[in-house]
Amino acid sequence: MSVPHRVNEIAHTTPPDNDASGVHEVAAGPLWSVVAEDMRHYAELHYPAGAGALRRWLLWLHAPGLLVLFVHRVHFRLIRQSPARRNRPAMILFRLLFALVRGLRLVVSKSDVAPIAVIGRRVYLSDRGYQILGPRRIGNDTVIHERVVVGVRAGAHDRPAISANVWIGPDCVIYGDITIGRGATVLPGSVLSMDVPPGAVVGGNPATFVRDHFDNSALRRSLSTRIDRAWIAAQ
Amino acid sequence: MSAFSEAVRADVNRHLDEETGALGARLAAIRHNEGLQAVLVYRLGRELIARRRSVLAWPLLALGWPVYALLHALMRACYGIRLSLTADIAPGFYIGHFGGVEVYNCRFGERCSIGAQTKIGSLDEPAGPSIGSGVWIGAHAKIYGPKTIGDHATIAPGARVQKNIPENALVVGDPGRIVFRGYQTHRIVPGV
Repeated sequence: MSVPHRVNEIAHTTPPDNDASGVHEVAAGPLWSVVAEDMRHYAELHYPAGAGALRRWLLWLHAPGLLVLFVHRVHFRLIRQSPARRNRPAMILFRLLFALVRGLRLVVSKSDVAPIAVIGRRVYLSDRGYQILGPRRIGNDTVIHERVVVGVRAGAHDRPAISANVWIGPDCVIYGDITIGRGATVLPGSVLSMDVPPGAVVGGNPATFVRDHFDNSALRRSLSTRIDRAWIAAQ
Repeated sequence: MSAFSEAVRADVNRHLDEETGALGARLAAIRHNEGLQAVLVYRLGRELIARRRSVLAWPLLALGWPVYALLHALMRACYGIRLSLTADIAPGFYIGHFGGVEVYNCRFGERCSIGAQTKIGSLDEPAGPSIGSGVWIGAHAKIYGPKTIGDHATIAPGARVQKNIPENALVVGDPGRIVFRGYQTHRIVPGV
């Protein structure tokens, strides 16, 4: 499994439209509107009763997932710049500063996100860190918890695609040319290398099918990670 | 060439596409790969241990040990990679990703590869695992205790190894079971 660091490794691909699975939804638009939406989303998750502006801004200090997401949003845009724009003196200075911010992100969260990954809006990446994320796409409203590794199969180059509304528990390993369907739930500690149908729950090492038609919207809002097969069966 | 520079060269070459002599490519590989930095710090520590009996090197060791201690602490605190000097790692070691890597009290053959969140060592037993050469160990794999793993075996991501593994075997799952014998890691991972 590897996450490319160098710009020349990165394929400049554009997502196809007319895709209903939600895999290809891109957080397009100006950077600051996307980051402000991330901030609002983290504030909603951390303070369900509502929070003032001060507490929202203090999230930058105690929510490292927000920093990971911000660094990825900037990096995603940097690697798509034209060479003429990239080589302007101001941009070279900015990239030097950005390298420091990336170092801070690494030290604070121990996470790495491949800059080629297309990440949608309102995604939650865990504040406990230790994530190595190298998927093709992450859809809107997806939750990924700590110590999750997403990458290529050894010796291959195809990456997983994670659709919208997916919940991925801590300690999961997800690899290979697979698609996780919209609204799927991956239980903590799973090792997943096969496609997951929309709305399904999978778990185990290696992962097996647990149940179908599970609504994980409450799970995605609660940030609770103490989930297992027995809890799913009780729902 | 000394054993130290041979080992460093082999470690850096694992991160290069072809064995170019270009210094710039080697430095870029070190700058971009946190796992390689941790392996180089480990090599420094092993070199300091190897030279402890030569009186001429003592002034150098007085400088070397504080530098090693600082770098080792940085690797653990910043990258979450703990490569203990109690591990005996042959040249050509590859750490794919940082974060939660713990390697201690074990023996590695040449040209092994490990992923993120791998825990390799011993919990209660005095003896740790002994791993052959060219072994590929995926992310989140756990190997504890006096297990022997044969050359060119493949430990799948998330596997927990609980018995000795023969050569060229593929181990999957928790508890780990051998699903394939004659699995050829060198065909899927070039250069292993």
